[in-house]
Amino acid sequence: MPHVAPLCPAGHLPHKGGDQPAGYSSPISDVGRKAITSKLLISPLVGEMSGRTEGGNVGRILLQLIALFAALFLALTPAHAQSVEELVRQLPEGSYSDRGKIVAQLAATGDVRLVPLLEALAAGELNVVEETGQVVTTAPSGDTVRLTDALTAETAGEASKGAVVRIRVNNSLRRAVRAAIGQLTLMSDSAATRRSAAEAMFNAAEPDNLALLDEALAQEEHAGVRRTMEQARAASILKTDASAEQIAEAVDTISARGDRAALGILTAMLGQADDDVRPAIQEGIKAIEAHLALLDVGQNVWYGISLGSVLLLAAIGLAITFGVMGVINMAHGEMVMIGAYTTFVVQNIVRTSFPGLFEWTLAFALPVAFLVTALIGIAIERGIIRWLYGRPLETLLATWGLSLIIQQAVRSIFGASNREVGNPTWMSGSFDFYGIAMTWNRFWIVVFALAVFAILLVVMKRTALGLQMRAVTQNRRMASSMGIRTPWVDALTFGLGSGIAGLAGVALSQIDNVSPNLGQGYIIDSFMVVVFGGVGNLWGTLVGALTLGVVNKFLEPYAGAVLAKILVLVFIILFIQKRPRGLFALKGRAVEA
Amino acid sequence: MIEKMGSTRRLLGAAALAAMLAQAGPAVAQDETIKVGILHSLSGTMAISETTLKDVMLMLVEEQNKKGGLLGKQLEPVVVDIASDWPLAAEKARELIEVNKVDAVFGCWTSVCRKSVLPVFEELNSLLFYPVQYEGEESQRNVFYTGASPNQQAIPAVDYLMNEEGVERWVLAGTDYVYPQTTNKILEAYLKDKGVAAEDIMINYTPFGHSDWQTIVSDIKNFGSSGKKTAVVSTINGDANVPFYRELGNQGIAAEDIPVVAFSVGEEELAGLDTAPLVGHLAAWNYFMSVDTPENASFIETWHAFIGNEDRVTNDPMEAHYIGFNMWAAAVEKAQSTEADAVIDAIVGVEVPNLTGGTAVMLANHHVTKPVLIGEIQDDGQFDVVWETEGLVPGDAWSDYLPESAVLEADWTDPVNCGNYNTETKSCGGSM
Amino acid sequence: MITQRLLNALGGRILWVAAILIAVAILVPASNLLLPVGHPLRVPNYMVALLGKYLTYAMLALALDLVWGYVGILSLGHGAFFALGGYAMGMYLMRQIGDRGVYANPDLPDFMVFLNWQELPWYWWGFDQFWFAMLMVMLVPGLLAFVFGWFAFRSRVTGVYLSIITQAMTYALMLSFFRNDMGFGGNNGLTDFKDILGYPIQATGTRATLFAITALALAASLLICSAITRSKLGKVMVAVRDAESRTRFIGYRPEYVKLFAFVVSAVIAGIAGALYVPQVGIINPGEFAPANSIEVVVWTAIGGRGTLFGPIIGAVLVNYAKSWFTAAYPELWLFALGGLFVAVTLFLPRGIVGAIGQLRHYWRSRSARDEGGAPPETPETEQVAAEKTVRARSTAASPVLGAAKPQPAE
Repeated sequence: MPHVAPLCPAGHLPHKGGDQPAGYSSPISDVGRKAITSKLLISPLVGEMSGRTEGGNVGRILLQLIALFAALFLALTPAHAQSVEELVRQLPEGSYSDRGKIVAQLAATGDVRLVPLLEALAAGELNVVEETGQVVTTAPSGDTVRLTDALTAETAGEASKGAVVRIRVNNSLRRAVRAAIGQLTLMSDSAATRRSAAEAMFNAAEPDNLALLDEALAQEEHAGVRRTMEQARAASILKTDASAEQIAEAVDTISARGDRAALGILTAMLGQADDDVRPAIQEGIKAIEAHLALLDVGQNVWYGISLGSVLLLAAIGLAITFGVMGVINMAHGEMVMIGAYTTFVVQNIVRTSFPGLFEWTLAFALPVAFLVTALIGIAIERGIIRWLYGRPLETLLATWGLSLIIQQAVRSIFGASNREVGNPTWMSGSFDFYGIAMTWNRFWIVVFALAVFAILLVVMKRTALGLQMRAVTQNRRMASSMGIRTPWVDALTFGLGSGIAGLAGVALSQIDNVSPNLGQGYIIDSFMVVVFGGVGNLWGTLVGALTLGVVNKFLEPYAGAVLAKILVLVFIILFIQKRPRGLFALKGRAVEA
Repeated sequence: MIEKMGSTRRLLGAAALAAMLAQAGPAVAQDETIKVGILHSLSGTMAISETTLKDVMLMLVEEQNKKGGLLGKQLEPVVVDIASDWPLAAEKARELIEVNKVDAVFGCWTSVCRKSVLPVFEELNSLLFYPVQYEGEESQRNVFYTGASPNQQAIPAVDYLMNEEGVERWVLAGTDYVYPQTTNKILEAYLKDKGVAAEDIMINYTPFGHSDWQTIVSDIKNFGSSGKKTAVVSTINGDANVPFYRELGNQGIAAEDIPVVAFSVGEEELAGLDTAPLVGHLAAWNYFMSVDTPENASFIETWHAFIGNEDRVTNDPMEAHYIGFNMWAAAVEKAQSTEADAVIDAIVGVEVPNLTGGTAVMLANHHVTKPVLIGEIQDDGQFDVVWETEGLVPGDAWSDYLPESAVLEADWTDPVNCGNYNTETKSCGGSM
Repeated sequence: MITQRLLNALGGRILWVAAILIAVAILVPASNLLLPVGHPLRVPNYMVALLGKYLTYAMLALALDLVWGYVGILSLGHGAFFALGGYAMGMYLMRQIGDRGVYANPDLPDFMVFLNWQELPWYWWGFDQFWFAMLMVMLVPGLLAFVFGWFAFRSRVTGVYLSIITQAMTYALMLSFFRNDMGFGGNNGLTDFKDILGYPIQATGTRATLFAITALALAASLLICSAITRSKLGKVMVAVRDAESRTRFIGYRPEYVKLFAFVVSAVIAGIAGALYVPQVGIINPGEFAPANSIEVVVWTAIGGRGTLFGPIIGAVLVNYAKSWFTAAYPELWLFALGGLFVAVTLFLPRGIVGAIGQLRHYWRSRSARDEGGAPPETPETEQVAAEKTVRARSTAASPVLGAAKPQPAE
């Protein structure tokens, strides 16, 4: 059977008449090669098609040869001979690699007008008017689109939607564009832009960049940017046939950078370096690796804390209903899920009605999710749980049944597929903390989990409700005699636990699927956390969640994700044998069963 | 016997049995309709993907009925829920065939579902159309594989990355089940064949529904910072993708640096994601909703009208069902019968249009020909086709890159008539 | 004395149920094999396979009842024993395929061949022998239960904690069996069996025989469980359930009693699993899913725990409902199942059997007693009420779960 797939241009579909795949081993051909050939003024085809050559074969061949040379000549003409405008007009057509070369030529012109154009190109916002070949950006206005010339930024009238075609980009082209933008913005006024330009040049090091970098370095005053530029320069030097001395210096500069990118450059360099510079490179690599090994530990701790905080959020509501009230709420995961769906609904309302407030979605979603899930929780308590006090295992069955009903209900209402909950910008991306990469969403979730924990602690210890809750759980009859409305406190406690699950749902909607199965994934883990930490103890839940998170993350690199999880489960089973009441067991007579 | 047991007043168990025997499913098959079984999970973990396929099947049956049905009869869909419970799938398949007397079944998504129902179809000699890309290494007389086999998805995608993006270092990341395992085995063999060193391949497996991707994404990042161009080939399954891509986006892995090409991420999966940070990551399929052909436009229009929601997307397995259903209908017309044997004989060589402007042909190995498309994720959740195979790629049941299966060949036409014909010993291998 | 009466009464019923099971074991296969196709009294092939599956589930529910209904151990991991038994059987069936697999490899199962396994892992050795496989069917679940129980019961892990770690156990096993590196076929599990003891597995005769064996095995397990629970040991078991500490103070060793029941129960579950696999034709890690084990608890609860035959009724009824709903109203199945959970725990705390018993009792002595009230407090028989007070007292002693016990909130 054939196994090498035929490869072909993108964009338009080739003929697919037959069932016989053509040309298995054909090389990748480029999308616009045909287009380019036909754009040439004189092409071999002209001779063929003119059909005027009655001089027989010789004349025809001669004509073809001339045409061929002409074509070759045109193709080899140095690019800088062409103006920026001409180059821009060539952007829409050609293979991705040819267009990458055009982008490089554009960058070489140093024309800063090109920066917004290239940015639009990378973002896929650049269009070409089919008739005129003009490169434009568009803005929708009714049925037509308003055109703006991409180079001059002048308005260029309107056109129907069908008249403009988006200029396609792929990854390799985007890379070329990024490098080009780097070259063009190296002298920008803003330090941040200059730094990212230097960073781009560091990543796409080219000997050609040296001159530009030297020029930029000569006038750079900002120390940080200067360092990045020097690193970019060093990386570029490594690509040249510089002297051993220069190379050693460059290696030093890069080693000092000390991150993965530097390691990558040095490792790549090691293979092709001369013997005399090799020790220096090896030393640099070793230094970086030692540094990175240290960072890895820190990174793992952070990952562990972040996983732990997710577990904490999922489990803390359970710690109330299970730990404080003794109710095994298997529908807890579904409360989390409802919280996530509430976020989805709130975000949709915000999107359609108040698009300006999108960044604040989560702030709106938090109270709404809390209220919705707390109310559902209270309803569950009043409707089902209160009949089952003292029969913990039966609450397990009833709430499990409830969880099935809620799941299927959500599936019927919202559909089985995932729903999109967007991240606000302050929860996207990452930042660098002494070399440890921290993503913003994880960071905020850690903060949020701790905040929820603290608030819960305050509620339990410092408010009347907390006092009553504790009183009821400690001695129901006595509490009742003191005038506490115990059924009411039960309902509120369950509502609080469920409401916190709803809050967890808001947070989880930022990192996980919002689907009817969301809660299922967390319920077992949450129980493990509560049981491990010690039932009836909020601090136990905190310590339990963080411990399990960190242990899991330290095991993962060695054992793999699956085995790590299995090991953690086995660890919990063994731990419970040792301490049947969990980490923070309650001491005293009460513990005896 | 039923009477006797029912008469014993106290015996609840017996009464239950009797009740069961009395109501052996909905009535006997009617002659006026041709029944089509739809065997998908409508609840449980797989409902997320499979519910759509049930809907698309209902739509296809409805459309066919509008055209006058088949052989002058109306089609009647019979929907069952396998609830993501694989032994239940076998039970339901048996029920569809024996009790409901369906003539063909369209269904299953996971490999384990297919493996579970396969003996039933073999035993009762019925037809199953399986619409999802899978690991290959199988060809059964009663099953038609309308999704892609590895050579119709994985290998062209790797070729693209190698040739177009110049990738030299590979991360093969997948969920730990048979499709990623097999696909990665095939890819590993293929890459080594192409001269990629062992240390330039990293293989990683995660459990189903994995949601904490921090470590793995940072491992990928580290692996990719060795100076060689790196790409991730992802066979990560369904639910785990959303947190995976989120983590990728947040850790700042842009497609330009480390592109991810996915085999299980389609329009449906992206619907749950903000795709802006993912622009440029790739997927390899045989169909994209964005493909601009009249067939596709009318398919999408029909789908939107059927489902009553303009926002619903279409995806590759839906197209596979479209192809499979049309092939079955064409084969039934050709054979003038819905008998399994007649259809099996008639369907090989049947040619129906696919949605990407070509035609799908049922091959002798019960796989179909497909174009391979590579699409880049766009910020609107759609894919932009950046590359595609020149012609159609015939599905290969047995991979040529695994030593044991390289010698095997499937051909369900005379004289071979075997799902695993050993070309070396010239004999039909196992008992299939 | 009351308990004595109760046990005697149950013993009578259990004999009845066992007799019916034996009759079913004969009649169903006979009707399937002897009556012509289309005969109104013939049990169709499809139904034989289905009933066989239900009966294995019933056996699993029975096994759970022995530990939950009589010793008070709510195991949320019984599916694990069932699945392990099933895997042992599946491994035997895999080895029976021999060189008829798609790659025609005489030793290695297909999934190992295409994942490049070179040789059979050691834990697959011996499974080509039927006797060895049967031994493992009982030994593996029994051993796991022994080790697990040994640690858990000696450490006095009870109540909810025990339930949750049994759940952790089955969850960990599920994750392990999902791993392809384990050599059990990963997510796909073991499938595509050809024959058992030389008989083709899909033949009607084999199916009918398997069904008969299942029904007989169920009857036998029922009688064994009944004998255990009616013995002196059985009374200690009930004592452990109702007041573990008190039993210990009297001088018994509750951990051994529990361990015994747990191991017996696991072995029965393992046998059920072994009978299940050839009848459904597949075993995969999904059987380990915690949700499955919880479902078993529900069958038991619905039928009526602590009655031994109640769980059998519960398992058959719920599974029949599942078969019916997933075909007739696929979207409603989870609503129905969930609703059943809630309704049974609220309104039928003693399950169907208990409810019918209560109803009969109620009609007989309606003038003597009137205990109507809030929904869950349905009329109770003397025995049930007495038992309940004991249970309430024992659970009240638990710090977490008791509502009337001093306990700091944190």
